[in-house]
Amino acid sequence: MREDNRKIGKVILWIVLIAVAVIQLFPLIWLVDFSLGSSNEMFTNGLLIIPEKIRWDNYVKAFVDGNFLHYLRNSVLINTLAVVLVVIISIMAAFACQRMKWKMSALVSTLLVMGMMIPIHATLLPNYKIYNMLHLTDTLWALLIPYVAFSMPQGMFLMTGFIQSLPKELEEAAVMDGCGIYRIVFQIVTPLLKPSIATVAIMTFLNNWNEFMMASTYLSTPTWKTLPFSVLEFTGEYSSNYAVQFAVMALTAAPAVIVYIILNKHITKGVAMGAVKG
Amino acid sequence: MKKLYSNKPVILSLVLPGLLVFLFAVLAPICLSVYYGFTDYSGMGEARLIGFDNYANLFHDSAFGRSLKNSLLLAIGFICIQHPLAILVAAVLDKLQGRAEGIFRCIYFIPNVISVAVIAYLWKFIYNPDFGLLNNIAKAFGHPGKINWLSQQNAIWSVLIVLIWHGFGWGMLIYYTGIKNIDPVLYEAASIDGANWWTTFMRITLPMMKPVIQINVTMAIISALKQMETVYLLTNGGPNNSTQFVANYLYQQAFKAFKYGYGNAIGVVFIIICVLATVTLNTIFKDKQEA
Repeated sequence: MREDNRKIGKVILWIVLIAVAVIQLFPLIWLVDFSLGSSNEMFTNGLLIIPEKIRWDNYVKAFVDGNFLHYLRNSVLINTLAVVLVVIISIMAAFACQRMKWKMSALVSTLLVMGMMIPIHATLLPNYKIYNMLHLTDTLWALLIPYVAFSMPQGMFLMTGFIQSLPKELEEAAVMDGCGIYRIVFQIVTPLLKPSIATVAIMTFLNNWNEFMMASTYLSTPTWKTLPFSVLEFTGEYSSNYAVQFAVMALTAAPAVIVYIILNKHITKGVAMGAVKG
Repeated sequence: MKKLYSNKPVILSLVLPGLLVFLFAVLAPICLSVYYGFTDYSGMGEARLIGFDNYANLFHDSAFGRSLKNSLLLAIGFICIQHPLAILVAAVLDKLQGRAEGIFRCIYFIPNVISVAVIAYLWKFIYNPDFGLLNNIAKAFGHPGKINWLSQQNAIWSVLIVLIWHGFGWGMLIYYTGIKNIDPVLYEAASIDGANWWTTFMRITLPMMKPVIQINVTMAIISALKQMETVYLLTNGGPNNSTQFVANYLYQQAFKAFKYGYGNAIGVVFIIICVLATVTLNTIFKDKQEA
């Protein structure tokens, strides 16, 4: 009797897990499936189609006309720069606020972390004005500055927590050996922060990789536009050719999904650490 | 050591980059918003100071009220639908061992790494009345399948479905990590006492997860308030403001309706609401933890 119950339990468990997986994944399978057919084939009553002929040329069009490589290059460049800056700036500030002795350390620390509460989208209007005045629109800075600014509070928060947990003895020994502060920060403390650097890097990447609201507000020429614009600009151009639109969506999603699947374990760990602590 | 660690110029050099970024990208725009919130600036020409007129108008603006109501609705959707499901699935997933556990965890999170731009357009197609996936599923169940999912009545529910679907993996992952952190000794003790799965879940998993649930609920409410991207692309607040959210509304007012001053006033109120909500939720949960 108990054995039977257990078996039924197992079956229910698998049904639940598979049902949720289907719900999460099916729209994406549908997307890839339709992206390989022709637009006429979409008007079917079935859930999926078997394309008469697999149309890779949809993807060729998406790749070329969607400016894929150019936008991908911009995304990689801007996000890498943002991650590096967020990590360096938050380690420096967190160290100064957490370890060094000065009167306003608590105040500055709170101020920098408080940025987490500010809704990004409320700054779209005034920032547009500011960047316009300083002629920063349509430059790399128009994205880099706000991306760094809105990922920094979380980076600062996480780094403060990690630096707090480091033993002070190491630094004391370094001081005895005549190390200056900068060497302590970058050569002694930073290497110990590796796991937290990974967490901050992953959170910063996830926050900014898919961002497009700021990008479409502060940029008007394609010079610095990022990957989401492959999709955003394409839909107008090919408004009636649905299959090609599906292809460009699948293509745009691909880099992040592939990287996620490869680094799945690290990313999962990073998100878990970042979110629970943040 | 003491001297080295209280060297003012060094401290300043370490903190300055962070402070500058904060001043330039967060504080300055907020100050500018406060200023423009008191003007009737349209985006071009002269800005005239009009005192609290914008804020007075905001009180009677039904679209703004609708935006707040939609945020509340979304928060309820997250807390009552997404999170219970996420906790349950996380608990079930935890029971699974080996490769399958990792594969399912990976699948559930995939929608989260896909750009909102793709997600929003994809769901636009899924809701498409002519060849959309959803109407085809309805047809498969014998329904005529001519539903207009983005009509004024249905649109807000369709938007909620997308958002609940998209964020599911994130919530699930955090609950899953929380469950993994529970001391296995507790489960062994329960199993020795002959407790079944459901009792164990209700008596051990849920109570031990309280801090994680509190963090997750806080984040859900805040993200419901801050929602913009998906709505901007999926419905842009329409039809007739029925799916309006605050961030999207202030953007429209400033850049589409040419009420830049009014948009900034909404922005100021928006910031105040977000800060108040964060502080309030944190205080409530802190008190409870101590009690």
